[in-house]
Amino acid sequence: MRGFGYLTKEGLKNVWSNRIMSIASICVLVSCLILTGIASLFSINIGKVVDSVGKTNETSVYIKKDYSQLEAVYIGKEIERLDNVESTTFLTKEEAMEQFKDLINDDALFAEMQGRDPLPDTVVVVMKDLSLYDQTVAQIKKIEGVDDINSHTELAKTLTDISNLVNAISFGITLALTIVSIFIIANTIRVTMYSRRFEISIMKSVGATNSFVRWPFLMEGMVIGFISSILATCGVGLLYEVIMTAIQQMLPIFVTIPIMDVIWYVAAAFAVSGVVIGFFGSLISIRKYLKMEGNEILGW
Amino acid sequence: MIDFKNVSKTYPNGTHALYNVSLSIDKGEFVFIVGASGAGKSTFLKLIMHEESPTSGEIVINGTETTRLRRSKVPYLRRHMGIVFQDFRLIEKMNVFDNVAFAMRAVGKPYSVIKSRVPYVLELVGLKDKMKNKPSELSGGEQQRVSLARALVNNPEIIIADEPTGNVDPEMSHEIIELLTEINAKGTTIIVVTHEHELVREFGKRVVVIDHGRVKSDASKAVDDYLGEADYADIPDYPDNVEVIPD
Ligand SMILES: Nc1ncnc2c1ncn2[C@@H]1O[C@H](COP(=O)(O)OP(=O)(O)OP(=O)(O)O)[C@@H](O)[C@H]1O
Ligand SMILES: [Mg+2]
Repeated sequence: MRGFGYLTKEGLKNVWSNRIMSIASICVLVSCLILTGIASLFSINIGKVVDSVGKTNETSVYIKKDYSQLEAVYIGKEIERLDNVESTTFLTKEEAMEQFKDLINDDALFAEMQGRDPLPDTVVVVMKDLSLYDQTVAQIKKIEGVDDINSHTELAKTLTDISNLVNAISFGITLALTIVSIFIIANTIRVTMYSRRFEISIMKSVGATNSFVRWPFLMEGMVIGFISSILATCGVGLLYEVIMTAIQQMLPIFVTIPIMDVIWYVAAAFAVSGVVIGFFGSLISIRKYLKMEGNEILGW
Repeated sequence: MIDFKNVSKTYPNGTHALYNVSLSIDKGEFVFIVGASGAGKSTFLKLIMHEESPTSGEIVINGTETTRLRRSKVPYLRRHMGIVFQDFRLIEKMNVFDNVAFAMRAVGKPYSVIKSRVPYVLELVGLKDKMKNKPSELSGGEQQRVSLARALVNNPEIIIADEPTGNVDPEMSHEIIELLTEINAKGTTIIVVTHEHELVREFGKRVVVIDHGRVKSDASKAVDDYLGEADYADIPDYPDNVEVIPD
């Protein structure tokens, strides 16, 4: 049997001699992979943020601004007496501001914010059982003097919704692009096989097995898949940086996963899916061709 | 070696190419197949090569009933056969050596075997000094000899040639059939389709006449019935003239 090196060389040769079609297939496959990659990285990031904010299990209860600090402390005590409340921490206006400053981590923005409405006194509530969240929030809201409730849990919920939406949309697009990729690769291989039909017919007439005829073309499809995966990895690396930097500027709490932590997983996943898509794309065309005999192959 | 039992072939478009053909070719025979255009000669060869399957009847090659042969086994059946085409079918961008080596590579022979076997076979067909030439630099007769070398290189038991002399001049035709007789003398079974009755008469081998899909006659004299001539003088009687040379 011929070696892997020989087949790879054959595959590369085929890709080169049919380069217009090959480039077209590579472009489609690269876009498919990049889209999938960015979408998955995005949802992994959101997942991580959701996880970290969800775990803190802290709900901020803002006290109406016309209440004095003493009254506010009293309200805090009242909240603490609720069944599902584990503990409460009281933050004065000044402390709340200090925490917020840490959170946004941007002095200029902070200076601007200070000119506006100051933050109210805040009671930070930790609940015993998060599944009773809605009922507990309703109870807190009924207490005289409570203005508003801002919960990270709600943020987590919003983020999860966004992530699910992004996932659903990108799943649809990925599915469509994968099918397109498979067919364009099938078409590319069909063109190569057509240009090699004379050799194929001779091979078959001297008794070459179908697998012998098949492998160089399968290799061509897999080489296209592999080249695409390399390009897509680079593309994702660059795009990810750009997108994440932009998001981080808008939402400082969004702590992103550094690209270098994940790039090798991305590369591996791309290589596998690229090669698999290339393989099946080629197989479609090869199957059709190998069913033919003699002059049928030549179209005579 | 090759046994046709009541074989009929009807193409999917309804053309009846062969009717009820029963024929047997032994190991080491040299058989000419003649007949008018469209008689079914090529169909007969395609059935042997398993390029087409019979509509009914049985074809046994080397003890294998080919209709029951699994698809994946067909290539191994073909390795017993060397095929020569009327139009040579050489790969233009490869030189003579590579064209012949192509058939060995296709069946997975290692280069160490190829590099000694190819020059040997090219010597047999008298083209050793043209090994590095491209097919376009050769005459028709030389190209056909390359094609013959390619058919021979895997040491087949049967050579099947569909009008191998159709595209070369009469002198070359003679030379090619001469070459085939030499190969036949070494024990290879040869089946040649031809339109050139002069050649058939001259070599005096077994002649199978196919007419409208039927075997009209199967003897060396038959060619004259077919031609409507009565020149028996230079055609010895079948089967006395058939050389059956064991391995
Ligand atoms: N693939 C095919 N599909 C349909 N009909 C076919 C096919 N191949 C051959 N035929 C028909 O079958 C008949 C026999 O064809 P075949 O090629 O065997 O003739 P032949 O004796 O080789 O003729 P020639 O001397 O012209 O080569 C013809 O009528 C031909 O048109
Ligand atoms: Mg014919």
